[in-house]
Amino acid sequence: MATPVTTCERCESQLEIGDLRCAICSQAAPAVADSRTVTEIEVHRCDGCGAALRYDVEVQAPSCGYCGSVMRLETLQDPMEQTQAFLPFTTDARQAQGALREWLATLGRFRPSDLKATARIDTLRPLWWVAWVFDATALISWTADSDAGSYRSDWAPHAGQAEMEFDGIAVSASRGLSEAETDALEHDYDFSTARPEPAGASGAAVEQFDVQRSLARGRVMSAIDQLAAERVGQRHVPGHRFRNVHVTALLRGLITRRLALPAYVLVYRYRGKRYRAVISGQRARVVFGTAPYSVAKIAATAAAGIGALLTIAWLLAA
Amino acid sequence: MASPKVIDIACESCGATLTLDEHLRTAECAFCASPMVVERPASAERPDPTFALGFVIGREQATTAVQNWIRGRGPFVRSDFKKATLEKTRGVYLPTYLYGAVAETVYEAEIGEDYTETETYTDSEGNRQTRTVRKTEYRSLRGRQSRYIHDAVVTASRGIPNHELAEVEPFDLRALRRYEAAILSGWLAEEPSLDSEACLRTARGEAIARVGDDLAGFMPGDSHHSLRYSTHLVDEVIDLVLLPVWVFSMRYAKEKPPARVLMNGQTGEIYGTAPLSIRKITTTVVLAAGFVATLLWLLNAF
Repeated sequence: MATPVTTCERCESQLEIGDLRCAICSQAAPAVADSRTVTEIEVHRCDGCGAALRYDVEVQAPSCGYCGSVMRLETLQDPMEQTQAFLPFTTDARQAQGALREWLATLGRFRPSDLKATARIDTLRPLWWVAWVFDATALISWTADSDAGSYRSDWAPHAGQAEMEFDGIAVSASRGLSEAETDALEHDYDFSTARPEPAGASGAAVEQFDVQRSLARGRVMSAIDQLAAERVGQRHVPGHRFRNVHVTALLRGLITRRLALPAYVLVYRYRGKRYRAVISGQRARVVFGTAPYSVAKIAATAAAGIGALLTIAWLLAA
Repeated sequence: MASPKVIDIACESCGATLTLDEHLRTAECAFCASPMVVERPASAERPDPTFALGFVIGREQATTAVQNWIRGRGPFVRSDFKKATLEKTRGVYLPTYLYGAVAETVYEAEIGEDYTETETYTDSEGNRQTRTVRKTEYRSLRGRQSRYIHDAVVTASRGIPNHELAEVEPFDLRALRRYEAAILSGWLAEEPSLDSEACLRTARGEAIARVGDDLAGFMPGDSHHSLRYSTHLVDEVIDLVLLPVWVFSMRYAKEKPPARVLMNGQTGEIYGTAPLSIRKITTTVVLAAGFVATLLWLLNAF
């Protein structure tokens, strides 16, 4: 398992085993110091047979022309990502079912009246989905157009810089759950409950990270850019409307954990059709899913609306 | 020019004495062909390499590719160049500096925001018409930007100037190896021959140019002009890195200096300038002029 070994002395981001350089600021990872005082001539010899080694293009490393043994060089490693820790399930299957029923009742007036009573749960599967959870601080430089200070055009340019803290931000690596589903779930986990072994549910499926470290870092970086752009739009650009938000992040102290997060995936059936919902494995009230609409109710409301309009029009005309 | 300093070394394998140019980091014994790597004490002018990038392209593959490249040059290239044989083929680990920094930039630009206006005009038949036209108003924008600059590569060798190295870039730095002397074994490797301050200045220049290129995309608005910026580089990192380069030299005419062709030893990118033939160009121009003159004469005559 790849665990953080040390911290970059330049930007305080975490370095992992196999990193030759910091992924954030390119500082070389520390190596064993080599202090020579005299000029030395070295013939590098094969450990096996004592013949001189030469760098060989075929194997991209020094190798022995006689016995074929290859010398290992320290290279940049790009291993597959591995789960470091699991958040435990703290709600059970029964609570999840109850939460689904309650959720079905709260969906509003355009849903069928008998939805809660007649929906039948087909399957309920506990599952650990995987995500990168990162902390970082960043100096964000931004530019954007907004309506503040605009004159003949609808837009005026603005620029600024802002310090931002990113604290426990989850970036989904899940293939099983959709982006909308993970977005709904990710805010209500208690990341401090992470532990090395799965707990709280038996027989739960465990998703795997199926990307390499370099790709994972790319995903985390683009998530940071996206989140920074959203925050800039909400908090920093003056005015009410904005467009063309550009951000550049100067990251420091990026620490990423690879976590498995608990959730229930439910499939329920209503009048022969199947619908899917996901429920947090830590807080049952966090439910996200699809549900049927009642065509009759919508049509009745629309008809009532049109009727009201016609009545008003008739009154005005009269 | 001062003659290059040489040092005497004893071959570790057979004991023979050989002399070695000071700017080289590797040697091969003339008697027993043992590949040697010279490890000198590190200094400010000659730091120890941090990383090296291994050769991916071998001698045969490189030679074939460069020969094909030479034959494929354009019609105005000298024939003796196209027929020349490669004289010297060297796989060299070129010393370069890999530079990074935090760039603190203050910029100012005129940002254009478009709007449309309806205006009336009189058309060619004397009727009054209206049309909408797109106009742009410009606003000054000042701001600051802080970002990392990664991996600006500059040569540290007098042998291969920076603009030639740039022609065979980029190198894929994901394949970097932590420097170990054995990676050079059996190949040529140079020591840095440019002074480190000069290299640092070149690297800073590249970093600042890169800030400017990216700032253009960072500007808001529909358009912009008069982008000015000044960049302060702080928190710099610089590492000596050995990059694999194939160097070919060839003599195609007695009176001319040898021509040089470079190849990126990792990606196979080739750079060289093929000498043009004055005679071929003159002949073509004369023929073309003659053809045009004949054509004009014919047109006039009939």
